[in-house]
Amino acid sequence: MFSSANLLLILGNSIKNSGLYLRTNSTVAQTVTQKEPENTQETVPKRNNPLKHPDYFRVHNLFTVKDLFDARVHFGHKEGSLDEYMTPYLYGSRLGHLIFDLDITADYLRKALNFTAHIAYRGGIICFFNRNALNAHLVEKTAQECGEYAHTRFWRGGIFTNADHQFGAITRLPDLCIFLNTQNNILSQHTAVRDSAKMLIPTIGIVDTNCNPNLVTYPVPGNDDTPCAIELYCKLFKAAILRGKEERMKLLQESE
Amino acid sequence: MSHVIKTSLKQITPITRYFYSCGKNPNLHNIRFYSNKVTTAHDDIYKNFTDWETLNKKKKISKPMRAYLERAKEHDEFMKKQQFEYNIGKRHLANMMGEDPETFTQKDVDRAIEYLFPSGIYDPAARPLMKPPEEVFPARKAAEFDEAGRPHHFLFYTGKPNFFKLLYDAAENIQLLQQFEDKVIRKKATPDPNGKLDLNATLWLTKDQLEQLLVEKLNDLEYDNFKLVMERLASLPYSYRIKDFIEKYRKSLSSQKFALEIPKPSYDDQGRAFVTTYECLRKKARGNVTIHSPGTGLITINGKDLTYFEDTQSREQVIFPLIFTGLEHKVDVECNIEGGGPSGQAGAIRWGIAWGLRSFVDKSMLEAMQVAGLLTRDHRRRERKKPGQPGARKKPTWKRR
Repeated sequence: MFSSANLLLILGNSIKNSGLYLRTNSTVAQTVTQKEPENTQETVPKRNNPLKHPDYFRVHNLFTVKDLFDARVHFGHKEGSLDEYMTPYLYGSRLGHLIFDLDITADYLRKALNFTAHIAYRGGIICFFNRNALNAHLVEKTAQECGEYAHTRFWRGGIFTNADHQFGAITRLPDLCIFLNTQNNILSQHTAVRDSAKMLIPTIGIVDTNCNPNLVTYPVPGNDDTPCAIELYCKLFKAAILRGKEERMKLLQESE
Repeated sequence: MSHVIKTSLKQITPITRYFYSCGKNPNLHNIRFYSNKVTTAHDDIYKNFTDWETLNKKKKISKPMRAYLERAKEHDEFMKKQQFEYNIGKRHLANMMGEDPETFTQKDVDRAIEYLFPSGIYDPAARPLMKPPEEVFPARKAAEFDEAGRPHHFLFYTGKPNFFKLLYDAAENIQLLQQFEDKVIRKKATPDPNGKLDLNATLWLTKDQLEQLLVEKLNDLEYDNFKLVMERLASLPYSYRIKDFIEKYRKSLSSQKFALEIPKPSYDDQGRAFVTTYECLRKKARGNVTIHSPGTGLITINGKDLTYFEDTQSREQVIFPLIFTGLEHKVDVECNIEGGGPSGQAGAIRWGIAWGLRSFVDKSMLEAMQVAGLLTRDHRRRERKKPGQPGARKKPTWKRR
């Protein structure tokens, strides 16, 4: 694992500064109006330090809040199953069903996408996780298409924490884990969330209203069950990874 | 951050240039110095990424790869040593056997070992052996990751990438077939009438075979999942379109078919059909049985007739298959039998007659014989006597005191 803690710190700073910038971009109308001036301004330096830039890979234009709404990302679970750590991300409840505030979700999702693109840019290993059989194939397919890794099966204990023994050799672990649902079943959390935290592997997790976001580095509040929502997340993460890799290829060609 | 700095610099630079020509104000000198620093930071971008292995001029090999290469080197050296010792041993053996060491083959080695180290151990695997080292020591696993430590397989972290890739492919194929079916229905086309997948002559690979194919150990649940998903795939109406994929995981029943093949009778000088069954075994008895058709119901056992057996039970055993098929007056039976006692010999003859009669009966009778257990070999042998007791199962008489 390379110094991802260092990267996290720097990224955190850049995102803090750009929070307002991203937030204003979260609705459709505003994106359209803000796109043009930003494009003209951004072309100034050919190659500056990506870590010093708030949104080097332009992940904020990958989606709009309307896209999230159309993909039913705002639907949470019923009130009774609410994890209290998820209350800040809620808009309210309708007919007993909790509804996410998509403005907040969009903000968090952009941070997560930005981080993903940076990891891909630096040649990190990204592993997708999902324990929902309905969406497993889609997730594996996404991982394969962007040249990364997936684990949608039963989690044998110790894959991260006892990797040398499990794989029979010294093994490089993922540099980023993306959880498209953080639950193993409706009752328990995926063990890999805990294990990633133990091994200091940064995590991105789609957390529904019944999930605990505490151990996830980049939680993204949103619906983690509906196939069309998962499809949207997969599409976005794939686009972010491919952008990161594209930049990486350019940089490698330049440096040769 | 740089975004903010950049805009501020842009506003500053024209002014600084103006003042620089004057070259007096120390404060503005500082500003310019500051701006210089920023630009150099941008040039040093590559130096900041020391951890980024591929950006370095010479390619750095990752820790996993280094460990792998070390192990590979160790293994190669070990194998080289073993190969050397094997060759020396082979020459010694050849000299001992008084043969030419240059033309001494593995077959000669096995023969020499058997001659020089005779062993009565029942299991051949436990007997002394001398084999080339590549047969004795397990092959080394190839590296599963590249120089940067990135695994080659996208399901590497599941621990059983090949097996889960198989499930992934099956799921992918199911989706493709369902999409195709939708397309056919939408076009209102008729399905291809000769497109049918015939799975009668084949079976799914057994667990061991699948493990061998995938080079991974599976548990029972995983094997059941494999069968479940493949059954589902094969049951789809357009499964013939992915015949190659399905047949990769099926094995033909040909070996079983061969065992059930019924021999055609031969004809002797008088034009009578006959079938000989060799190796009729039961308990310690062994012999061969010849059936002649047509005949008059003559039974010859070691030159005598049915009275060769003194007890009625054994006689009944011998004629049972003839009575069962209703051929007791239509065929002649001739058998040579040795070893064992009367019941063993009678059992061996009974099986031999039934096995030979398959050539002279129709299919329904054959099935009836199968159901009656006439075609089943009885593999039971005498059970050994146990120490501390008089027989195999018999215990000494029990006394309280």
